Amino acid sequence: MRGIRSGAAALAAALFCAPLAAAPEQAELCAACHGARGVSALEDVPSLAGQPETFLTLQMILFRERIRRFEPMNAAMRGIGDAEVEALARFYAALPPARPETAPDPERASRGRALSARHRCGVCHLADYAGQAQVPRLSGQREDYLLHAMRDYQAGTRQGTDTSMQAVLYGLSERDLADLAHYLATVPAAR
Amino acid sequence: MTPIRLATAGLVLLSAPALGQQQVPAWAQGRPDHMAQSTLAPHPPRMTVTAPGDVPMNRLRVPQGFRVELWAHGMPGARMMALGDQGTVFVGTRVIGRVYAVTDQGGSRSHRILAEGLTQPNGIAFKDGALTVMAINQVLRWEGIEGRLANPGTPADLTAAFDMPPDQHHGWKFTAFGPDGRLYTNIGVPCNICTFDRDRFALIVSFRPDGSDRRIEARGIRNSVGFDWHPVTRELWATNNGRDWAGNDEPHDTLHRIRRSGEDHGFPWCVGMWADPAMERRQCSEFEQPAASLGPHTAPLGMRFYTGTMFPEAYRGAMFIARRGSWNREAKIGYDVVVAKLDAQGNVTSVEPFLTGLLDEQAQQFHGRPVDVLQLRDGSLLVSDEQNGAIYRVTYGG
Ligand code: HEC
Ligand code: HEC
Repeated sequence: MRGIRSGAAALAAALFCAPLAAAPEQAELCAACHGARGVSALEDVPSLAGQPETFLTLQMILFRERIRRFEPMNAAMRGIGDAEVEALARFYAALPPARPETAPDPERASRGRALSARHRCGVCHLADYAGQAQVPRLSGQREDYLLHAMRDYQAGTRQGTDTSMQAVLYGLSERDLADLAHYLATVPAAR
Repeated sequence: MTPIRLATAGLVLLSAPALGQQQVPAWAQGRPDHMAQSTLAPHPPRMTVTAPGDVPMNRLRVPQGFRVELWAHGMPGARMMALGDQGTVFVGTRVIGRVYAVTDQGGSRSHRILAEGLTQPNGIAFKDGALTVMAINQVLRWEGIEGRLANPGTPADLTAAFDMPPDQHHGWKFTAFGPDGRLYTNIGVPCNICTFDRDRFALIVSFRPDGSDRRIEARGIRNSVGFDWHPVTRELWATNNGRDWAGNDEPHDTLHRIRRSGEDHGFPWCVGMWADPAMERRQCSEFEQPAASLGPHTAPLGMRFYTGTMFPEAYRGAMFIARRGSWNREAKIGYDVVVAKLDAQGNVTSVEPFLTGLLDEQAQQFHGRPVDVLQLRDGSLLVSDEQNGAIYRVTYGG
């Protein structure tokens, strides 16, 4: 079950939030799922705060063009022009990333860390997992979403701007993915 | 056999049998240990509109007597171009999944999106009123397209007849009709460097227009995303992209002259006389030699022979070649259009810069990425710039 399917309460909550100074108009709609400051409180919904601007822009266009498929997101992006997409990306990129809420389970985190080192996740996502250009931030991201995203790449159901992730995750077990997600979600965001 | 993991370095992949699925991202395969910490990575695409005022026209340089203008803009991802009988310029893309059509009304251009949501529709060819689009593992054809640009309708789906490999990596196509009426396309190798089925990948192939009668035109060409036929000899000439992670200056990207169907140009063992150290040793002299080097990692893509009369004599019969520019090289190179000139025997006598200025070498920054060239009927030359979603037009005199 995915969190946003029961998002009515969150939607209501978001609408009662005080409007943000720099937020583009459309961000009000996005807040229902992604949180007013880009930190998601919903299962399987990604946080956007502190993501690289280029990554955010590219993913929004992929959704709008229906190349990356997830019906509510495709609907949310419909009719949003390029300039507005870029404004939304600037807005979320400038917000501070979420801090991990839970302490890591030491054993799973250390397995995840070892996997990340072995598979060199930090070469592209950078050593502090803050991401760069088209490569997303992983630190400060929700654990359930990280796992969900990796499963989508493995299953070939998520189309990105390149095919790096399908290749990176080839042959990793479900437990590997879960430990990676656990480790990455509990790494403190250095910046 | 269990695939070997990334930790043991990319080179072990050479012995992994599975081609479609690899554990190292294809663009990082073949990376030697001493480059393992390199942060070189493909540059991100741009998929939003560049406002005309932000297209870097003031940077563009062409030789004395030539002029360059912004001909069309606002088409994110614009790549390969094909010219319709009535003057429509059809434009393919990769990740953004669109096909554009540009029309000229009384000196001003407008464009529309003809198709969208396709998987890398890079291959665009026009013949007998019909537009053929090759996406990854998909071949579509719109008959009588120029009569119904506003409402192109559903295309004929020829995918099954062409039966292309589904691999995404190097799976995007360059497509053109040859002087023999056959439809030609490349089938790139789905890895950086590996062993593979040489009857299936690293090829230029041709078909009858309906997708039947597949024939191998050139073998051992790693990934050609641009070719054209010599206007007199009708020989096929093609650009080729060499592999990554063998060093800043090796191997070179190349220009190939294909004298006879089926010749072997040496990938994965050789690029010219350079033997790939990652592969089993072969005598490189046993393969066809490239007609010219186009520089290391420059990414030469679209190329056409110049058959017009607008440009000076020296350019007639020469080839214009768009070089999209490097990522896998510490000092950036390319990001321009070069012109390759031939002597009477068809030997390349020079490769010179033609349209430059998009690379700021000092700052190591690029401001555009030329992907294709296309001659218009008046003899002017169009150049597509993927990064700016723009098309430039180069004219002479006037
Ligand atoms: C109905 C809930 C919902 C709404 C409304 C919504 N999103 Fe999303 N969004 C999601 C979900 C769920 C995903 C992850 C989809 C998936 O699993 O691939 C997502 C993914 C994204 C991503 C990709 C992030 C990543 O890390 O991959 C971006 C960027 C994004 N949304 C931006 C927006 C913007 C901007 C808006 C407002 C215009 C918006 N979303 C509205 C639910 C929503
Ligand atoms: C070769 C570069 C590269 C390597 C190595 C790499 N990634 Fe990625 N990763 C990317 C790119 C590029 C994307 C965005 C792709 C897209 O457009 O969907 C991405 C996306 C992701 C996402 C989706 C995040 C989101 O917000 O949607 C996750 C999760 C992820 N990577 C995890 C990992 C893990 C875990 C590893 C190591 C096992 C890893 N990556 C290694 C390049 C890389």
